Amino acid sequence: MAAESKLAPIRKGLLEFLVLKIVGASSVYVPDILRRLAGTEFATQEGTLYPLLSKLRREELVLYEWQESGAGPPRKYYRLTDAGRAQLAALDEYWNQINRTIADIGH
Amino acid sequence: MKRISVTVSLNRSTLQFDDAAYARLDGYLAESASLLEGDPDPQEILSDLEQAVADQCTRRLRPDQRVVTLAELEPALEEIGSVQVPGAAAASASTARESNRPLQQISEGAVVSGVCLGLARYFGLNVTALRIFAVLLLLLSGGGVILVYIALMLLFPYAPLQPGGPPLRWLPARSRAFIEYVRVKFHLATS
Repeated sequence: MAAESKLAPIRKGLLEFLVLKIVGASSVYVPDILRRLAGTEFATQEGTLYPLLSKLRREELVLYEWQESGAGPPRKYYRLTDAGRAQLAALDEYWNQINRTIADIGH
Repeated sequence: MKRISVTVSLNRSTLQFDDAAYARLDGYLAESASLLEGDPDPQEILSDLEQAVADQCTRRLRPDQRVVTLAELEPALEEIGSVQVPGAAAASASTARESNRPLQQISEGAVVSGVCLGLARYFGLNVTALRIFAVLLLLLSGGGVILVYIALMLLFPYAPLQPGGPPLRWLPARSRAFIEYVRVKFHLATS
């Protein structure tokens, strides 16, 4: 699949954007994020998500707090920082711009 | 007397594992740690992964079951997937595949343990031809090749599994667990 091999890096690059979007919509823990992405083109795994969230936390785009759960150990709930919100807005704007460019070009 | 299980502390949970499952988990965490080399904060990610393993295994235990076996651990690890380092992953994965290909066993698509697949990739050979040659050698050598194969299984590190790739067949999954068990048991270097 020649097309597929070109699409995979696009998805990989966009995953961070989507995770920011999900975390921006509400405070979530990792299984929520996985569920939200499952069944989409961006379905992913904990082995991918934890390193990504760790990077986003170091960049101070997300932060987490521990919340007690009814059963089992406490859970990490992630939410956006102000910097994360600003970056998400910038990405959203850029994405719309790219979409317009792609739609317009070649006409 | 026989040891039944090992008590494992995984981040904020404690679980019982049988020996084979413990060895497999130890191998998975060692592989994750080596993939995270160069990450500024590997400990946080490893703790998160440990917690994910604990949650996934707990969810898979039957109500009357207390000890985690490979039957619970394998699907749990498959769902969690191997560690993908953001950013670096895309570039390094493709260059590692194209240019400098280390001698490894490749579990995906393997018949026994992936030694032939690994050799074929390293030397740029046709894997089917290599397998036929190996079977011929097996018949001619009267079984001596089996020892060589097992030695190579112990020597070659495992190629990291591709996330979202096909599930491992029964025999490659078993031999992977077996080799990890032997490596831990005899304190051999894990890949």
